[in-house]
Amino acid sequence: MAHPHVWVAVRSEVVFGDDGKIIGVRHAWEFDEMYSAFATQGLGKNGAPPTKEELAPLAKTNIESLAEFDYFTFAKQNNEKPAFKPPQDVTLEVNERKSVVMRFFLPLQTPASAKKPFSFQVYDPTYFVSFGLEKKEPVTMSRAPAGCSLSLVEPSPLVAADNQKLSEAFFQNMSPGADFGIKLATRAIVACP
Amino acid sequence: MKCKQVVWALLLGFLFMMAPAFAQQHPFAVSGQEALGSYNGLTGLILAWQNKFNSELQHATRALKSDPSALATLMLSSFAYGIFHAAGPGHGKAVLTSYMIANETALKRGLTLAGLAAILQGVIAIALVSIAAAIFNATAGQMKQATNLIDIASYSAIMLLGARLCWVKGQNFINQVLRVYRTNANSSSHNFSCDELEDGKYEHGPNCNHYHAPNAETLISSSFSWREAITTIIAAGLRPCSGAILILVFTLSQNLFYAGIAATFMMSLGTAITTGALAAIAVYAKNTALRWAKKPSQKLLLIGGAAELSAAVLVLSLGLFLLCNLSFGHIGA
Repeated sequence: MAHPHVWVAVRSEVVFGDDGKIIGVRHAWEFDEMYSAFATQGLGKNGAPPTKEELAPLAKTNIESLAEFDYFTFAKQNNEKPAFKPPQDVTLEVNERKSVVMRFFLPLQTPASAKKPFSFQVYDPTYFVSFGLEKKEPVTMSRAPAGCSLSLVEPSPLVAADNQKLSEAFFQNMSPGADFGIKLATRAIVACP
Repeated sequence: MKCKQVVWALLLGFLFMMAPAFAQQHPFAVSGQEALGSYNGLTGLILAWQNKFNSELQHATRALKSDPSALATLMLSSFAYGIFHAAGPGHGKAVLTSYMIANETALKRGLTLAGLAAILQGVIAIALVSIAAAIFNATAGQMKQATNLIDIASYSAIMLLGARLCWVKGQNFINQVLRVYRTNANSSSHNFSCDELEDGKYEHGPNCNHYHAPNAETLISSSFSWREAITTIIAAGLRPCSGAILILVFTLSQNLFYAGIAATFMMSLGTAITTGALAAIAVYAKNTALRWAKKPSQKLLLIGGAAELSAAVLVLSLGLFLLCNLSFGHIGA
């Protein structure tokens, strides 16, 4: 039962405040065709895709249940796990590809200086949702002070790139209690001088 | 004797292996609840296959718009999806195998139950999406609420089944304990051993309350009742699987609902094969234990009774657990 039923392509933006500290992460999650069809079922008039307003109730439900799961966003700095506040600007909309996109800004409890590397991952520990980063520029920085850099650390894939053959890493990961959600998650690292 | 105990221990272990992780309301949930579990190696492998078949499902549905031959691919991947989907942990399987261990010795009947539960699961998904989405144009939220109601019904059925099994198996077990107790009490108060009677008539005084080992099948019995069987089918199969709901809604949105219905039945068929195999293992393991126990000792019967009772208790607590989770969870959210 608990295997991916929903696929999400993640695009995230690390947002800096006026003082050059990271204030939070802005997410745009694009859902797969099947979940998009499910989310938009019964909505939208005369063949037109549903509006943000029509999708608002579902957005609310989703964001509320996301709280229990830490918004699937797991940050790390100095071996600590910075906490996030409840999200702001939550919207659910249908894009030009007819996919449902959920957007929200996740503010950090306390803004973090990125002089020590700040990193985060997006994954579902239960692996009901399979999160993957968008192919092009999945993570960007907004209002970052000069000299800040961003890098992505890819996990060793469980399943090789063509999505057909099981990779060697897959078998290495077949240990009891292997947490597939996290093992497949890319880590985005932000560091400032 | 050791071997037999090992078999019962294995049976119990098997039961607990099948018990699912208990669920929280998951964001982006499709049906009311999604079981959340951790993974070991085997589930990891199954997981990768499930992923593969799922993406093939999406591709085939998309291709179907322009290419009718994609229907074959869709059917095949649905079938495979069903097989692997059912191979993960889930309460349906826990209920089914527990029921088998507690109650069932006939393979054919076990397979029938597994098959019917799988078909029911498919039919419920089709009925739900047809009525809610195709006719009433329900939204995702409304469909989730509908599946919540189905969940309540399904978990209540599990609880009922568990309570009924506990009642029957509990009585059975208490009787066994009493019998052992009485026998022991008698043999310790008399120096007379019934087994020493060699006149073949098996006559002994009223105080010789010795223990006639009954045929194992009558004690660890297949006390089959259709009511329990139907409750098992409902308990195991009432809750539609998210995969089926997704493919149905997806095909509906593509105006290919017929393909979704066909795909759902193929999923059911695949599911039936896996759950049928599990049912067969349960029945086979139990029958093996019974065969070894042709002339069962009291101790063995007690262990057997305890295993049956544990299976019954497991079903009951599973039902209670799932129900509690629902009512303290996010009903109607």
